[in-house]
Amino acid sequence: MSDELVLSAQGLTKSYGRVQALRGIDLEIRRGEVLGYLGPNGAGKTTTIRCLLDLIRPDGGTLRVFGMNPQEKSVEVRARSGYLPGELQIDPNRTARAALRYFNALRGNNVDWAYVNELSERLQLDLKTTIKNMSHGNKQKIGIVQALMHKPDLLLLDEPTLGLDPLMQREVLRLICDAKAEGASVFFSSHIMSEVEAVADRVAIIRKGVVVEEAEPTSLINRAFRRASVRFKQAVDVEQLDKVPGVRVLSRDDGTSVLLQVEGEMENLLKALAALPVIDFETERPSLEEIFLAYYEDEGQEV
Amino acid sequence: MFTVFRYTLRRYRGQIIGWGVGLGLMGILLVSMFDSIGTQTEALNEYLSVFPEEFIAFFGDFSDFGSPEGFLGVEFFSYMPIIVGIFAVLIGSGLLVSDEENGTLDLILAYPVSRTALYSGRVLAFIVTSVLILGLTWVGLAIPMSWSSLKIDLDVLALPFVSLLAQILIFGAISLLCSMLLPSRAMASMAGGVFLVASFFITGLAKIDDTLETVAKISPLNYYQAREAFEGLNGTWIAGILGVAFVLIILAWWLFRQRDIRVGGEGGWRFSLPFLRRGA
Repeated sequence: MSDELVLSAQGLTKSYGRVQALRGIDLEIRRGEVLGYLGPNGAGKTTTIRCLLDLIRPDGGTLRVFGMNPQEKSVEVRARSGYLPGELQIDPNRTARAALRYFNALRGNNVDWAYVNELSERLQLDLKTTIKNMSHGNKQKIGIVQALMHKPDLLLLDEPTLGLDPLMQREVLRLICDAKAEGASVFFSSHIMSEVEAVADRVAIIRKGVVVEEAEPTSLINRAFRRASVRFKQAVDVEQLDKVPGVRVLSRDDGTSVLLQVEGEMENLLKALAALPVIDFETERPSLEEIFLAYYEDEGQEV
Repeated sequence: MFTVFRYTLRRYRGQIIGWGVGLGLMGILLVSMFDSIGTQTEALNEYLSVFPEEFIAFFGDFSDFGSPEGFLGVEFFSYMPIIVGIFAVLIGSGLLVSDEENGTLDLILAYPVSRTALYSGRVLAFIVTSVLILGLTWVGLAIPMSWSSLKIDLDVLALPFVSLLAQILIFGAISLLCSMLLPSRAMASMAGGVFLVASFFITGLAKIDDTLETVAKISPLNYYQAREAFEGLNGTWIAGILGVAFVLIILAWWLFRQRDIRVGGEGGWRFSLPFLRRGA
């Protein structure tokens, strides 16, 4: 990954009538970086991606892709980008091969067809089948091939593994990693935390049109709360642990074991436990999914 | 632009064959009928003389029904604007919006194709498709002239088609503009269709009702030449119709460049009336 900025958005806003889809998005992606874009439905993920390709026009903010304004240099930006829409629609009367040939023609016939065949083989996509006879997953494979076939510098993937079986999901993640290895930047939205955790260099969590968190997955996990499981030699009064700053008792048994959630430093908890007959103490960090769900829960509470 | 043009034209091949061959076959049938009808001209004229003038106004001058030009004017070219007008409205209203509604435009415009190039390619394909349909129809009229007594010079036979082409373009342009202004293709088709039918009736009725003459001036069909085209085209009318069509196409292009492309489905109105707002 280099320091070269491929994509930057500052204060990006977009409204659909009275609905504010984006309320000031700030984002950056560098060359060779994979950014996982997480958020619940309607958070603004697709709107952000569509602004980058000039499919829709933002109301405010600054947007630069490869240093260019997509509204002024849309053709140049798209020539270097590969896009997989969240709701992929392709002419159903064509075969997969005919559809890809059409997309190749729109790119000026500069695609290496051997690479198209390689991608199709990796995804087990039969190019001879007519699209209307394909399953959702196979249509999604066409979408992935068309996004990757010209080896773009920037990949914009809106839920790339949607509708794919686990084996194919893994293959798509490999393709993303391969693209990254060749220097491409990848911006992909997803609901599946494990895949984001597996391939993303950074994660941005969007909620109600605002990026509420942006960090490396490991840093996000380290910064978040963790769980502590404690066993005692004999029953103790666990209520005193509930009063420790940053500590919340999640479950308790007969006083001989307790599950705690700890936010921030462990120092206060360790001091409190020092006065108790502890025989076992384990901590675990939450998965990215749990962190993401915590943002969801916050949203639910607000609603 | 030429890739878009080529693929759009390929997509319209069904339209070209369907409309072109259909109208061409109708032309063959009509010209072949001329010999049998020609022998009964007097009886026909007598029969037509009892028709009300309101009816005659819509189907041209029956006085020279026995001549090749009069026959084709009444039997073919008088109602052709409605037939090809339907084609123009359907294609014009869906030229871009049908792809937007079925969700394919979202992906096409993510390719290195500018909106102007996409728009130009589609409009050019529409024009060429119209020319090919009219060309096939012209061929359909020309072929039976080799055995029929209906003879018209082939270059003269092409003149009403020039006037028809201008009508296709104006109604196509109106429908295209409607598709950029209205929320859905269905509404744009309906608006274009209503304008086509209204234009047909206003133009016809204005021939028998002088008070409609002023309104008829804004009707494109007022400037359509059926039988009259065989005597020579009105260049001012053709240029005027094509000029207005061009302006409408430019206006639709400007709107297309400004608009947000939908992921799919039909759109909504871009304004909301205060009294319709919830809670207002």
